[in-house]
Amino acid sequence: MSVGRKELVAAGKALLLLAIAVLLQTLLISRISVLGVTADLFLILTVLVAITRGSLEGAVFGFFAGLGADIAFFQPLGMRALLYVLAGYFVGMFVARFKTSTVWGVLLLTGCSSLLVQFAFGVLQYVMGPRAGFFTMIGTQMFPEAIIDALVAAPVYVFLVRTRLLPAPRVEPALARSVGE
Amino acid sequence: MPRNKVVWRRSVFVVLIIASLALLTVSFRETDSGPVHSIQQAGANVLSPLQAWGARVAEPFQDGYHWIRTIWSAHQEAERLAGELQLLQGEAVKLKEQAEENERLKSLLDLKDKGTYPEGTDFTVARVTGKSPTRWEAWIQIDKGSNQGVRVNQPVVGATPISGESLAGKGLVGKVVEVTATTAKVQLITDSESSVAAKIQGSRAEGIVEGSVSGRLVMDFVDRDLEVDPKLVIVTSGFGGVYPPAIPVGIVSNVGEEDVDIYKEIEVQAFVDFRVLEEVMVLMVPESPKSEATP
Repeated sequence: MSVGRKELVAAGKALLLLAIAVLLQTLLISRISVLGVTADLFLILTVLVAITRGSLEGAVFGFFAGLGADIAFFQPLGMRALLYVLAGYFVGMFVARFKTSTVWGVLLLTGCSSLLVQFAFGVLQYVMGPRAGFFTMIGTQMFPEAIIDALVAAPVYVFLVRTRLLPAPRVEPALARSVGE
Repeated sequence: MPRNKVVWRRSVFVVLIIASLALLTVSFRETDSGPVHSIQQAGANVLSPLQAWGARVAEPFQDGYHWIRTIWSAHQEAERLAGELQLLQGEAVKLKEQAEENERLKSLLDLKDKGTYPEGTDFTVARVTGKSPTRWEAWIQIDKGSNQGVRVNQPVVGATPISGESLAGKGLVGKVVEVTATTAKVQLITDSESSVAAKIQGSRAEGIVEGSVSGRLVMDFVDRDLEVDPKLVIVTSGFGGVYPPAIPVGIVSNVGEEDVDIYKEIEVQAFVDFRVLEEVMVLMVPESPKSEATP
């Protein structure tokens, strides 16, 4: 597969998005907490990339965003990378299959992805770390963060599409069909 | 072509999953000086100046936000005044911020002067530059690292403005658990993995103060037959080797007893308000300390 100018521009934009995510998350977003939780821009951008570019790009972006999050959040390297790869891939597949790309769809997909990623993260934490309070965390951490991630994702999505850092969403019929294979 | 695309996409996905799992496995298996940890520490070192800078930039905004929230009505009144007054208010916020910072640093010095620490203990004041993003863990990041002599297992104390039940606002914060050249991660005593050997002044009862994911502090392993009254002060006992004795931890807020339990369950109100912690002091205790142990 040859790499054309279009792909290079897309990769450059993804790299720029990643740099923006690192800067905003460490400088700004980590200092704003609502109900004791902060938004996760790394996950939000992974979901947005998956929605607008597809599952492959979503997974690749998720991998590098996850590594960034692991470093920024002092997590074992690879933990969030694994979860964000899964999130990026399956959100991309979902969009290809159900052709959901409205702002409401973005809101819902981000909220659900955030909830599932946090649930998986919670299970990993439960297995490897603090064993108490898993169900408490559903109410105090998982749901509030899912809501905040979803609410942040909608304006970020509109802004990134308008500034052309992300393309307007497109659904490839061939890819959509292939999901059922 | 679509078929090729599907195969390519699935292959990349599988490769990414394998890469993530491999990284995760190596992260857990290798020592702190291994290549993956080194990469992570290098990344943290790159981010730490940004975070420290962000903390400084955000501080006036955060203070301004608290100011607006607490005296919103006064702020509305002030908005009607002329530009000169707004400038003066800006100056006042700045001065107030400096005064509060001075007060906090004075409290830390007070804690240093009045505490009974092992001979040869050195102190370094550090600014809090980050905190745990989830409630699963309770930690803070500080802007001092191994370059400043900070080492793993060094105790950390802090002082916060007095609020509510937090009596003096000064006391134990936690211990250093990870160190890079310029930053360190401090596990708070409210972390569910934290345990501090402590005793209750007045009753001499000894036990272990443990954190939880809900942020609640509980003192466990205190014999039922010992008399413990609310409002008694809890200090570190010095057992376990990490925390020196007599560092204030908190006060007894509630004493519970279960018929089936041989120990009392004592709820502890920490002296330090961890939500508003901005500066802390790392105690650089001489001799390499051992890890904390339960009795």
